[in-house]
This record gives sequence, structure tokens and C-alpha cells, in this order.
Amino acid sequence: MSEKPEKKKTAAEEAEEVKQILSAVSTEVPALIKSIISAVFSEEAGKNMGRAAAAFYKELKDSGMPDNVAVKMTENYIGVFTSLGDLLKGAGGKKGQIIINAGKGKEIGEEIERRIKEKLAEKKAEAEEEEE
Amino acid sequence: MGKTPSLLILSILDSGVSAIRLMGSLVVIYLGLGWKVRKARRAFEKELIRIGMSKEDAQRIGAQYASLKDNAVKAIKRSIAGFRF
Repeated sequence: MSEKPEKKKTAAEEAEEVKQILSAVSTEVPALIKSIISAVFSEEAGKNMGRAAAAFYKELKDSGMPDNVAVKMTENYIGVFTSLGDLLKGAGGKKGQIIINAGKGKEIGEEIERRIKEKLAEKKAEAEEEEE
Repeated sequence: MGKTPSLLILSILDSGVSAIRLMGSLVVIYLGLGWKVRKARRAFEKELIRIGMSKEDAQRIGAQYASLKDNAVKAIKRSIAGFRF
């Protein structure tokens, strides 16, 4: 008899924890994705990549390369930057989980973990204040 | 008596709201992505044309740049499809 309310309390606590995690994730993840997208797909990023490709193409042309070959090589040059899928395939785990093991990836992982922990601590403190 | 179940229901409802908010944000990001890619591609092609490349070639290379979006979306879809709790 006395076990039943305790079990219910655990379920409520778990639901509360899930709520806090989802609340933190729903604010942090879109912001993270937005910043990644704007780093790759902005007018400035396009311009910079265009400048790099143009410099590459100009160098090839100046060294006497035929136009069609220079264009093909520039296409391949850009293809290296855009083969993100292959890059992620290499970084991904067997079940689609991304393994963060390289320097910058580890930093990003730690940053996400830190922010989620901060948000959870904030929410917990707020909940405690409300209870008081 | 009714405090714990109501807390549980409230938490579940809040979780649902957060999940819907997350999905909404992702949909908005996805919809805005096409526009951002078009803008970036135009700036990219402009630079190539400025250096003396023909418009057709610049557009072909621009399409390669824009394919980065498809690759990224595919990679995200693959990782979501393979995600297990």
C-alpha cells in the first residue's frame, strides 16, 4: 500500500526531468542549428567561398590551363567543401549517433552539455523557489 | 491525493509543448534554409562571373555549392532515422 504513492512520485519526478530536458533542448538546439546554417549559408559565406573558387580558377587560367579543364577543376575544388555527407558518414556511429571525438567536436559536445546542465540547474532553482 | 497525478499530467503537457516548440523551430529553420541557400548561391556565382567565368559554368559550380544543403539535410535525416533512445 505504501509503495504505490512512492512509485507515482518517481514517475512524476521522471516526467519533470524529461520536461526540463525538453525545455532546455527546445531552446538550445534550434539556436545551435541556426548558427551552423548561417555560418555556411549566408551571403557573406557564399561570397567568401566564391572568392576562393574564383582565385583558384584565375590561378589555373593564368598558368595556361584550357578553360574547360579549369572549370572542371574548380568544380572538383568546390566539391571537396560540399561533400559534407561523406564527412558526417565518417564521423557518425553505427546507429546514426554522432561520435564526438575530435578536438573541436569535443568542445562543442562539452559546450552543449554545459548549457543543458546550466538550464536544468536554473529550472530546478526556479521550481524550488516556487515551492517555497 | 490528486497532487502527484496532476503534477505528472502537467509535466507531460509541458513536455509536449516543448516538443511541439522544437518541431516548429526546426520546420521554420528548414523553410528559411532554401531562401538562405539561394542568396548565398547568388553571391557565390557573382564572384565567379566577376573574375571572367561564363554564366553557365558559374551556375553549374553554383549548383554544386547549393548541393551542400541537400547533403546536410540528408545527413540530418539519416542521423534522426538511426537515433535510438
